[in-house]
Amino acid sequence: MIVGQQKPFDEIWSMVRDFKKVLVYGCNTCVAICHAGGGKEAEILASMLRMKAAQEGVDMQVDSAAIERHCEPEFFEPLDEKVRTYDLVLSPACGVGVNFLADRLAGAIPVYPGINTSFYGGVPEAGFFVELCGGCGNCILHLTGGICPIVRCSKSLMNGPCGGTNNGKCEVSDQTDCAWYLIVERMKKLGTLEKLLEVQPPRDWSTGTHGGPRRVSLEHIRAYEEKEEKNAATEGK
Amino acid sequence: MSLLSNSTKRGSVLIVGGGIGGMQAALDLADSGFKVHMVQRDPSIGGTMVMLDKTFPTGDCAMCMISPKMVEAGRHLNIDVHTLAEVSSVEGDAGDFRVKVKVAPRYVDADKCTGCGDCEVKCPKKVSSEFDQNLGQRKAVYSLFPQAVPNTRAIDASQCLCLNDPDRKRCRLCEKACKAGAINYADKGKEIELNVGSIILSPGLDRYDARARQELGLGRWQNVVSSIQFERILSASGPYKGEVKRPSDGRHPKKVAWIQCVGSRDNHNANPWCSSVCCMYATKQSIIAKEHDKNIEPTVFYMEMRAFGKDFDKYVERAKKEYGVRYQRAMVSAVREEPGTGDLVMKYAAEDGTLVTENFDMVVLSVGFQPHCDAEQFAKTFGIETNEYLFAKTSPFTPVKTSREGVFVTGIYQGPKDIPETVIQGSAVAGSVMALLAEARGTETVEKELPPEKDVTGEEARIGVFVCHCGTNISSTVNIDEVVNAVKDQPGVAYVTNTIYACAQDNQDMIKQTIKEQNLNRVVIASCTPRTHEKLFQETIREAGLNKYLFDLADIREQCSWCHKGQNEVATKKAIGIVKMSVAKSRLQEPLQSETVGVTPSCLVIGGGIAGMTSALSLADQGFPVYVIEKDNELGGLVKNVHRTLEGLDVQEFLKDRIEAVKEHPKITVHTGVEVKKTDGFVGNFKTLLTDGSTVDHGAVILATGGVEYEPTEYLYGQSPNVVTQRQLEKRIAEGEMPKSGERYVMIQCVGSREEPNQYCSRICCQDAVKNAIAIKERNPGAEVMILYRDVRTYGLREDYYKKARDLGVIFTRYDVDRKPRVEPAGSRVNVRTWDYMLNKELSLDADWLVLSTGLRPHPSTDRVGEMYKVTRNPDGYFLEAHVKLRPVDFPSEGLFVAGLGHAPKNIDETIAQALAASGRAGVVLSHEKLAVSGIIAKHKRELCMSCLSCFRVCPFGSPYIAEDGKISHNEVKCMGCGICAGICPAKAFQVNNFRDDQILAMIDAAAESEPGVVN
Repeated sequence: MIVGQQKPFDEIWSMVRDFKKVLVYGCNTCVAICHAGGGKEAEILASMLRMKAAQEGVDMQVDSAAIERHCEPEFFEPLDEKVRTYDLVLSPACGVGVNFLADRLAGAIPVYPGINTSFYGGVPEAGFFVELCGGCGNCILHLTGGICPIVRCSKSLMNGPCGGTNNGKCEVSDQTDCAWYLIVERMKKLGTLEKLLEVQPPRDWSTGTHGGPRRVSLEHIRAYEEKEEKNAATEGK
Repeated sequence: MSLLSNSTKRGSVLIVGGGIGGMQAALDLADSGFKVHMVQRDPSIGGTMVMLDKTFPTGDCAMCMISPKMVEAGRHLNIDVHTLAEVSSVEGDAGDFRVKVKVAPRYVDADKCTGCGDCEVKCPKKVSSEFDQNLGQRKAVYSLFPQAVPNTRAIDASQCLCLNDPDRKRCRLCEKACKAGAINYADKGKEIELNVGSIILSPGLDRYDARARQELGLGRWQNVVSSIQFERILSASGPYKGEVKRPSDGRHPKKVAWIQCVGSRDNHNANPWCSSVCCMYATKQSIIAKEHDKNIEPTVFYMEMRAFGKDFDKYVERAKKEYGVRYQRAMVSAVREEPGTGDLVMKYAAEDGTLVTENFDMVVLSVGFQPHCDAEQFAKTFGIETNEYLFAKTSPFTPVKTSREGVFVTGIYQGPKDIPETVIQGSAVAGSVMALLAEARGTETVEKELPPEKDVTGEEARIGVFVCHCGTNISSTVNIDEVVNAVKDQPGVAYVTNTIYACAQDNQDMIKQTIKEQNLNRVVIASCTPRTHEKLFQETIREAGLNKYLFDLADIREQCSWCHKGQNEVATKKAIGIVKMSVAKSRLQEPLQSETVGVTPSCLVIGGGIAGMTSALSLADQGFPVYVIEKDNELGGLVKNVHRTLEGLDVQEFLKDRIEAVKEHPKITVHTGVEVKKTDGFVGNFKTLLTDGSTVDHGAVILATGGVEYEPTEYLYGQSPNVVTQRQLEKRIAEGEMPKSGERYVMIQCVGSREEPNQYCSRICCQDAVKNAIAIKERNPGAEVMILYRDVRTYGLREDYYKKARDLGVIFTRYDVDRKPRVEPAGSRVNVRTWDYMLNKELSLDADWLVLSTGLRPHPSTDRVGEMYKVTRNPDGYFLEAHVKLRPVDFPSEGLFVAGLGHAPKNIDETIAQALAASGRAGVVLSHEKLAVSGIIAKHKRELCMSCLSCFRVCPFGSPYIAEDGKISHNEVKCMGCGICAGICPAKAFQVNNFRDDQILAMIDAAAESEPGVVN
């Protein structure tokens, strides 16, 4: 899931201090699970802003709301009108949600981010999140024992560790495991260590994040949807 | 089981002494179908623990922990507390005793007294307070301490001006002050007769009077205080309000010294036994003192650091490393005052033998425990035998049984011990009594009859608000009329009135009447504190037909009038705010139904060692079917390798007897060579699948998984035939080995204990060494025995054997962990070199036998069993109990109990006591046909839940679970209502009944007079 972390409160305050009517608009999917931007966090953040405003003597109305997901239009509809009555939407949704809502509001009012969207990660224990996928668009986990060298290796190396590997730890920090050490140990257990002898060619990054926004289009669903729409239109006549 | 005929047994129990041990026994028994009479000499129950400031290692306030128990005991329908009372005679036999109790006059009618304390304010006679150890004062009409139970004053006849006037004409101010008319100068006391099935003695202790030791200066130099005085000094409710200062001049002391073993371990001038607790309380006091005032530099002068209990060594290490507490190994011979300064000068020998003179600002004498001064008469009254020191005589195999059938003992009267050991024995006597009086269970208890509950669903809130004066406690600070007026027009409020004492019997009736007349469906009482009065008022409204959760207590005394005394205007404003908050919450209150679940009245015991077998026998004697699971192919556990106790009793004989009893008991099923494969369920309803394929349904489970002995790798063990463990030596002795004259045994203590990664004391090894050393010397005084030790931890009455060993010529030589003995092969012998601190040089000894005192480890299965039952282990791998002081055999989850070495290293007698305690605690659960689940639990809304697992991971009770559909569900039976889930749930899917977010927000809004801006 997408993991994010609330921005420092002072930074948020400096973003919103000049607005009169602010809506903290939470998203109840990924960011709710990482305790950063669900309905509950939106309420708490709104309450903190109200307190701060009272302390600073700023006349400001701060309300909160939340919907199921900030990345699909249907969820926004019930509150659309109300949202437009605010001067600012502070969105603790992930960056996707902020973009999506800002596009939807199309310049009518600004949408500011309440959190820093951090990574795609897992939740091995309560309150602890760790990055496990880089979303590179070209998965090779079958070659590396299920351990991603793109994000788990500091250098995204593809053919084994660098000289900075140190007793299973990465030279960047002794808190970081060397991904290639993990890969070798895992492959040993899987009995597929010899697979690593195959040299990986220079990586094709064209599926990565540097060629403009990436899209996934499921033609079979889109074609079906279009057909349904057409049918509806014909029947309507 | 007893040979008495069933018809004679009574279902009631007398408990003599209302300290923590007596209270534990009382609550366990009363909660499981026995009527309890508690007799207490003081005007309040509570004993010694109430005097303490904090308890280690958690730093919990002692009063805050014990007070709820006192309140519970005081209010329990089946516990009658008789204070100012003493037993004068006991007749009859086990199952049917006739007891006469003398109750001294209280001069205050307990039925009328509301505990407001107005009398005390008016009383002109000030007396030195024995509770504050004469560092503070009380009045002639007084309560022992503010949280006293019963919450009633008493008049001290020796001090009262009126009672000392033959005409009873003087003073009488308290009589005038009492609005309840409770003062009765003509009280003559009474004698009552009780008929009980069993008697439990928990009279507690006296402390050694250190004034006898003139050279240490107590009572002579003002800045020398006893350790119990220092507890009162530290206490926030004590004479100095928690400020550490010197009695002589009120100055904050910098250098504070503790002198250990005052009155203990001294068979020339004082008590020969070790008091067991002083090393740890001195460590605690030095830490707490440092927390109160960081400038304090504590030094503890000690002979031996006896940190033998669970995690005690870690606490001492923390004191050294984190708090800078200095431990100086020296016995101080004298304390002198420096004239004019009040400072104290002490002389002691440093470790290298040089004489040091050091000045201190304050000195604390760590005084030990002893039986009550009238212990001899006490024993005669109850017809029991004592040991030579007047402690009740017990056997290590029956640690809570006295010499008289049906009379049991708990706590320090059995021997010096700390709070958890006392609580364990409290539950252990309860378990023993449950077994003795099994068939009389439920014959003398009463249950309350209640009218049917009125259905208020859908009704608009009609709140009745009662604002209490609490005599003058509240009304002298808070303007009651203003509060009444301010609340009148709050939404939902149908009726407001004030009352002098909401808790007085006539006013309770008035409240019930008003509920009916005004057709109220919610009640708010603005008064003292929910701590003592919430349950009382809940019962009151229930008696008027309202669900008890339609009540709220607005605390305007302890959280308002008391802490804002003299600030009447702001206090009144705050009181209005508090009551408005309560009203706002009350408006949103809903009736809650307490669910009940059935109980399978049988128990699973995991582990067939001495702990498991003791628990099984006790529960089976109580009448419950028990299933004992033993991993090995035969019963017995670790004790199979032990031959004698320190006292010389035959362990193997005892073990054989227990195994036979277990095998023959019709209620016990033994599964050997079997382990638990899978388990599921909750209190009252467990289902456990065993590796032999059978399934057991049980209502409770006792984890008695036991321990193993550490197998050493150090000191040539396994390499030289001359190097053996204490257990191997014990076996050779048991098999009749005769030591030869001149043969030299060297023993090394703490092998594999008290060092990282096993930074804990294994508790039994010092005694094992002493036991074997005595056996060698008794067989041949010509054999040499030398024990190399770090601290000899022969605590309690075990100290006698340490002395005996020394008298027999066993040589004890201390070594330091940084300078451990070195061992090398030397032909047919072993050469041991060790530093001798007395001689200041290295000793080289050729030993015929090198005996290693190896420690204990938890059984390897502990982790797996723990995981299966979802109970935690401490870093050393031992099961972690629910609370180290007050719940030593419980787990946080109900229905699970622990006994024996799986909990921590301990001796056989302690294991037996804990096993009996586990059976007592399990007996409480199993004696109920149904268990009521509290109404205050978390409710889970599945439609809001995102299954993020936060609740599942943080819940200490395992009540959220992953259901078959892969999503989170909630088992409300396991829920304890702590609210951690509601705090962490990002979806707000969890709400705790009566503490729902909407209620809390309504309260905040009522206080802030604002409205939240949630857009829906």
